[in-house]
Amino acid sequence: MNQRTDHLDPEALSTFIDGELPAEAQQAARLHLNGCHSCALQVLSATQLKAATARAGHRFTPTPETLARLSATLHPQPQPKKTARIYSFRAGAWGAFAAAILLVASLLAWRQIRQTDALAAELLDQHLATLASGAIPQVISTDRHTVKPWFQGRLPFSFNLPDTSALPPDSALKGADLTYFEGQPAALLLFTIHKHQVSIFLTQQANSPLLTPLPKTHAGFSLASATTPNLRILAVSDVNPADLNLLLASLVSAQSNN
Amino acid sequence: MPSINVQSATFEELALPLLVSLYNQACWLARNRTEAEDIVQETLSKALRAFGSFEPDTNFKAWIFCILRNTFLTSRTGIAASRTVFLEDQAAASEMAAADPSPEEIVIRLDDLAALEAALDELPPPLREVLLLCDVEEMKYKDIAIILGVPIGTVMSRISRARQALRQLLQPQAGKVQ
Repeated sequence: MNQRTDHLDPEALSTFIDGELPAEAQQAARLHLNGCHSCALQVLSATQLKAATARAGHRFTPTPETLARLSATLHPQPQPKKTARIYSFRAGAWGAFAAAILLVASLLAWRQIRQTDALAAELLDQHLATLASGAIPQVISTDRHTVKPWFQGRLPFSFNLPDTSALPPDSALKGADLTYFEGQPAALLLFTIHKHQVSIFLTQQANSPLLTPLPKTHAGFSLASATTPNLRILAVSDVNPADLNLLLASLVSAQSNN
Repeated sequence: MPSINVQSATFEELALPLLVSLYNQACWLARNRTEAEDIVQETLSKALRAFGSFEPDTNFKAWIFCILRNTFLTSRTGIAASRTVFLEDQAAASEMAAADPSPEEIVIRLDDLAALEAALDELPPPLREVLLLCDVEEMKYKDIAIILGVPIGTVMSRISRARQALRQLLQPQAGKVQ
């Protein structure tokens, strides 16, 4: 569009609906649209086409197995330990330097392990509590359309649950609870994989500043975690880690579906 | 080393939410799910190795999509596809604009997801690619320009042409584009 009174040319129209026109041109386009029925219709049509393209463009969804394989790539392969060889260092100075580094690293590692262990222990405690006989979840349902709405007004965030068909084989939603850990509200989702109970905890990522990496196992139970832009998802179970990761991957995948 | 752990944890946090998008984009590029998975795997490996050079305040999504695109272009399918020359700005907008359907005509076909998918399939790859980055991935023009390695002006005109071509394909008796 060159002048306020001119119609929007296709490129200006396209740039306008993407919100990419410079502020002044955007304002001029708005003014023009207020009085031009033809351009207003074109903008409406272009906006609908953009929305429809977005829907059609989300065509290829990875299977949970593919997602699990791709997720596994995110973990760097353990580097082979380099053999420590000391050639011609000035033993005293270098020895003291190495000792200092070792001390600092040990202290950092000790702090990390303490944080990690505390989180793992808290998750496991809550998981064990759900296994106890007589522990009845506040909402008992295998229907995601029942479980998700139950959290409305109870949590300061929302989340998506995967459709039954998107769950890994022989996995099922059993119910849910409202819980707290690390001092913040969390959704506790109860699943089964085969005959194993699984507890999934969802919290707001913004409120989990620590993001401490979890150990893979704790007291014989498998632990796994993942993050999405808004959520941190933690899983505990005695099922094998591969199955647990598949379930976790399906939950991560569900968060990207609207 | 603690620093390596922190870095890889950050990479995982940034990359995990993008896996579905990367896979979708790779499928559109390669048109084959198995190859798409290979491309995403290779992209993630490359990105993880190069993560030290990623500037934290820049757009991670644009950075990793750029790696994905380069990975595709150097794949067998990508090399074969690159033999098809796309006449960048030769296809004048006027050719498309002349056949613009009315908004009402478009509305009717927009309800038909299969028709839309078929129309996207028929778009020339460079037009489809820019449209997916803009409308599906909701990227800004400046990020798309980085990914495609073209000026913002080219992104702007290419998106406009892509939409006009898509409109043309969605007309009830649409023929093939170009």
